[in-house]
Amino acid sequence: MQKDFVKFENVYKRYKMGEVTITAADGVSFSVDEGEFAVVVGLSGAGKTTVLNILGGIDCCDEGKIIVGGKDISNLNQHDLASYRRYDIGFVFQFYNLIPNLTARENVELATQICRESLDADLALDSVGLSERKNNFPSQLSGGEQQRVSIARALAKKPKLLLCDEPTGALDYNTGKSILKLLQNKCHEDGMTVILITHNSAITPMANRVIRMRSGKVISNVVNPSPLPVEQIEW
Amino acid sequence: MSHRHKKQSALIKNTLREILRTKSRFIAIFAIIGISVGFFAGLKSATPSMKKTAMDYFDSNNLMDISLLSTVGFDDDDIEELSKLDFVDGVMPGYSSEMIVTRDNIDFVVKLYSLPTKTKTNKKPINDLILKDGRLPKSEDECVIESYFLGMSGYKIGDTITFSPSVGGRETTSIIKGLEYKIVGVVDSPLYLTYLRGNSTIGDGTITFYMFLPNEAFATERYTAVFMRTKASSTIENELSKAYSDMISDEKDFLKSFSTDRVKRFNETTLSDAKQKLSDAEKEYNEKKTEALDKLSSGVKEMKEGENEFYSKIGDAQKALDDGEKELEEGKEQLEQGQKDYLNGIEEGKKKLTEGQTQYDEGVAAYNAAKLEYDIQIEQAEKKLASAKSEFDMQYQIFYSSTKPSADTKLMLLKSAIDVCNSTIDRTEAKLRELKSKSIIGSILESSIKEQEQKLADARKELDEYQKQYDEGTAQLKEGEEKLAEAKKQLEDAQAEFDEKKAEGARKLGEAKSQLDAAAGQLANGRLEYETGISTGLLQLQAAQTKITEGEKKLTEGKQELTDQKHKTMLQLKEGREKLAKGLYEAHVKLDDAEKKINKAKDDLDALDNAKWYVFDRDDNPGYSGLSEDADRVDNVSKVFPIFFLLIAGLVCFTTMARMVEEHRTETGTLKALGYSNMSIAFKYVVYGCTAALLGSVAGGALGVTTLPLIIVDTYGIMYTLPPSELAVHWSSLIISSLAGIGCICIVSLMSCFKDLMLYPATLMRPKAPKPGKRILLEYIKPVWNHMSFTSKVTARNLFRYKARFFMTVVGVAGCTALIVAGFGLRDSTTGIADKQFGNLTIYDQIYSLSTSGTSEEKAYLMSRFHADERFESTLLSYMGWGTIGTDESPTKQTIRFMVGENQKDFEKMFILRDRKTHAPLELSNDGIIVSERVCETYGVKPGETMKVRLEDEDYECKILGMTENYAGILGYMSPEYYESLTGNKLKYNVVFTRIAEDSPDDDRTIANDYMKDDDVITVTSMRDQIDTMMDMMKSLDFIIFVIICCAGLLAIVVLYNLTNINISERVREIATIKVLGFYSLETANFVYREGITLTLIGSLAGLALGNVFTTFIIESIQMDNVMFVKEISFLSYLYAFILTFVFSLVVNFMMYFKMKKISMVESLKSIE
Repeated sequence: MQKDFVKFENVYKRYKMGEVTITAADGVSFSVDEGEFAVVVGLSGAGKTTVLNILGGIDCCDEGKIIVGGKDISNLNQHDLASYRRYDIGFVFQFYNLIPNLTARENVELATQICRESLDADLALDSVGLSERKNNFPSQLSGGEQQRVSIARALAKKPKLLLCDEPTGALDYNTGKSILKLLQNKCHEDGMTVILITHNSAITPMANRVIRMRSGKVISNVVNPSPLPVEQIEW
Repeated sequence: MSHRHKKQSALIKNTLREILRTKSRFIAIFAIIGISVGFFAGLKSATPSMKKTAMDYFDSNNLMDISLLSTVGFDDDDIEELSKLDFVDGVMPGYSSEMIVTRDNIDFVVKLYSLPTKTKTNKKPINDLILKDGRLPKSEDECVIESYFLGMSGYKIGDTITFSPSVGGRETTSIIKGLEYKIVGVVDSPLYLTYLRGNSTIGDGTITFYMFLPNEAFATERYTAVFMRTKASSTIENELSKAYSDMISDEKDFLKSFSTDRVKRFNETTLSDAKQKLSDAEKEYNEKKTEALDKLSSGVKEMKEGENEFYSKIGDAQKALDDGEKELEEGKEQLEQGQKDYLNGIEEGKKKLTEGQTQYDEGVAAYNAAKLEYDIQIEQAEKKLASAKSEFDMQYQIFYSSTKPSADTKLMLLKSAIDVCNSTIDRTEAKLRELKSKSIIGSILESSIKEQEQKLADARKELDEYQKQYDEGTAQLKEGEEKLAEAKKQLEDAQAEFDEKKAEGARKLGEAKSQLDAAAGQLANGRLEYETGISTGLLQLQAAQTKITEGEKKLTEGKQELTDQKHKTMLQLKEGREKLAKGLYEAHVKLDDAEKKINKAKDDLDALDNAKWYVFDRDDNPGYSGLSEDADRVDNVSKVFPIFFLLIAGLVCFTTMARMVEEHRTETGTLKALGYSNMSIAFKYVVYGCTAALLGSVAGGALGVTTLPLIIVDTYGIMYTLPPSELAVHWSSLIISSLAGIGCICIVSLMSCFKDLMLYPATLMRPKAPKPGKRILLEYIKPVWNHMSFTSKVTARNLFRYKARFFMTVVGVAGCTALIVAGFGLRDSTTGIADKQFGNLTIYDQIYSLSTSGTSEEKAYLMSRFHADERFESTLLSYMGWGTIGTDESPTKQTIRFMVGENQKDFEKMFILRDRKTHAPLELSNDGIIVSERVCETYGVKPGETMKVRLEDEDYECKILGMTENYAGILGYMSPEYYESLTGNKLKYNVVFTRIAEDSPDDDRTIANDYMKDDDVITVTSMRDQIDTMMDMMKSLDFIIFVIICCAGLLAIVVLYNLTNINISERVREIATIKVLGFYSLETANFVYREGITLTLIGSLAGLALGNVFTTFIIESIQMDNVMFVKEISFLSYLYAFILTFVFSLVVNFMMYFKMKKISMVESLKSIE
């Protein structure tokens, strides 16, 4: 397992809102090892989503260095960033962002068709426990099911890194739990590096690593040597 | 109030911010409304602008409302009466005529007018000219000429125009004073708006240009034309309106009845006076003629009589002279004969005398000779007689003394020898008989017998011999005796003869002697007679000679007298005759003159007798009626296109507003929750939409109204002689279209937010569930679906997911394509007219107009020239005549040109009569006419039905045999047989159509010039010129087509941009998602565009079909009566339309590409607002 698989070094991100400049990432530095389940936790506006977006290649930093799997992505152009997203990153969003006009399988296929090595869409869906509803449109699926499709879509790409932005934010407690379970299983069983951001500190015990942020800064980066199974966590 | 005001102001602020925030959406609405309103109001304003330009032109140049022509002209009284009419504002008498001008061997028919002048009633000249260059004429021999022709003909200011000395059988100088006029200026007349110059009855029937001469240049006493301004133009603003034409028509009706009064008065005064005078003159003439003829004829009679007498007298005298001469001649002849006879007589007498003397002398000599001979002969005869007597005597003595005794002795001897012999014989015989009796003894005996017998024989022989000798001797003796007797007798005879002869000779001699004596007497008498004859003959001859000389003298004298007399009389006669002839000639000349004068007066009067006034209005000016039609044609186009635009604008606005409302769903919910009324919330959208629409209307309207009419009018201006265009804003259409646009957007805005406003705020504040995905029909067709690429599947589903947008995009794109198709289609049809007409149908190259005065022999000769000319491929002698055609129901009489070919074979080589669709040739039989297809189309008549035809001022019912493909002009064809049976007239061929051979060494002009030298050829019309004119006309439409295509492109871009924009903004989340998934920019674009491209494809295909319909509709509404537009759109046009639509689509997509690239994944995926 590679150490410092993901590495942030003094990353700054500033947004100009008219005359006001908001520093969303204010010298962020942290690292995550390969195969870890890392949770970035912080209050709303702490800069965690900014960090995740920069890490996921859908946003760029103003300063600093980001290394993923030994590759510096902080200075990539648009095209290389797209390649980076394509081959290295899997994204899971709070609102799933499924294409409404595609069935569950097709949503997964949308991802797999652009990858060199990908999981079979059916296998991916099976692995998230959606064998029965492959041919349903998102609107015909529950939130949890949609999130599973979303995870399947992310995993099917065989990414190096799975990034999850409040994946349970729009889900009820039980469903959220099952999604977290799924993600934890994927990490532990398949060795997938997962970085999850949440405002809910209650779920930090399930992580290998907990990174706390506040006001665009990393205030702690703690390794949890014995993460709890999701089932044992209550919030 | 203030609270309410605040509330409103907050909302207004919100709205203003919204506008600033969503510029592209605002601009989309602004643009689509602007284009629609601008296009609509602009096109709508084109027609009024054109009409206004024209009407201002008419007003500023005081264009006549009504013009009058009369077969007898007008006098001041007529003018005075006309100006008294209450609806007449101004009257301008003047002159108009048609002339022929020859330049470079080509005859031009020229319309000649007198210069417009001011009169008592009109302060400004009616039909005032616009002086383009130079100056107006100042003297009688100057003229101004129109600018249009000046450019074409090569005439310059300062050149002199020369008219041909006769025109239409009249002396040019009977119409205008001189033949040569100097060009001093160039003008335009409001009478002529287009290049059309109207038709003429002279030359080739087409007026080429017009010109003006001063009034003084005209030779006729009475005015030939009157131009009037009436209340119609002064009271009615729109002179192209129906109100105007109605009023004009009333005025015309009045003038027609007025004209009958004037004509009646004319007949009563001028005409009846003239008639009276004429008949007096005629009477006088006839009397004088009779008198003069009587006098002349009596003179001639006297002359004849005198002549006759003279000739008879001369004849008698001559005869007498001739007789005398003849007698004299006879006398002379007789005298000559007498002289001759006299001399002959003398000669003969002399000769006879001489002969008598000679004969006498000969007679004497002969007598003497005869006497001598007689004496000699007598002597000789006496001698001979004496010798003969002596010889006889001697002989007699000899015989009787010697010969007779010796002969007697001999005879005695012989008698004895004979006796011996007889006795021997007797013995021998006896011996022999004995022997013979003893013959039995043997041989000796035998030989003895023989011997005896021999002896017997010898003896016998000897006996015979002796006997013979004896007989001879006896005979000789006897003979001697006889001889002697004979000689004695002879001697005696000779003696007798001698005596006789001697006596006779003596008698004869005596006779001769007496004869000789008588002859001597006669001879003496003859001589006497002869001598007297000579003297008397001489006397007679002398008398005759004298007589003859006298006669001759008399005759000569008579002859001289006769000649003198004759000569004298002849001179007298000649003088008389000359006098008579001179008198006759003079009388005839005088009479002829008088007769000619009277006949002319009669003809003039006859012409006057059918006096008629013709009343014309502006529509009769060439090209005038076309102005209104052309203007209305633009109006027709503007009816179709802009409505289409507005429709699409409405659709676009609806989608845009719906999208906007949807985007503001949360805000709506919030406002609702805050307690704003539905109206207040809707107000925002309405204001937003209306502001965009209003601004768009103002901007678009202003731009459209100021540019489009000018462009269109100036384009038409190529065909019309009009001043620079003036703007006439069609306010109603501008306001209506603006209101329509604004109203439309209000309704659309309200409709869009209505649905949301009906919901509870809570519902609104929850994110709207994305439109659920659905299976589409295609998915069930597994083989197809499974083979589709992933993005194709997405596209397919999306297409059906947003049906409204699908529909709108397709309609928008289809509309755009249809407009482009229509634009190109129009171009096809207009250029097609020229191409098809002159490429395929009109195949003849020239038309030679023939003189109507030429005899049929001259025509036949001319035709033989044409036939023999190898530069022609074929020629056809034809009749070409103008007429009108119509039906009972549609009285609109359309001008039609009739062609009648001399023979079917050449006709088929010259004209193509065929069905447009099948190209099957039409057969021209002898029971009807074949007309241009356009006629049937205009009147809705089918082949087999009948139409009303007016030909040479007679109405006929004609059966339509068929309709032939023809684009330019209205043509009718009939066979010579049908023409003659229809009209009952003998067909007068007046033109020759020719096709020039491809290998002809000369071009059409050279050939035309060759034939123009023939008196029977009046003009030659070259098709090449016609084609050029046609092409020019059609080119002016090109620009309008360009405008249409530009507008269509603009529309397409706006529609596509807007729809793509909405599409993208609606799907920004999807796009962000796939970008996050690692799609490259192009892949992302492809994902989105595929839909747009598919829609464009479907839309443009629909547009091609729609365009076809659309084009047909436009062509129907703009086509003219005498031109059939080609209703075929070429494949290329469809292709262009298709490609252009895609180009526009690509342009839009290109613009969108950057927008899409800019979509921020972070922003889009943040959360649902």
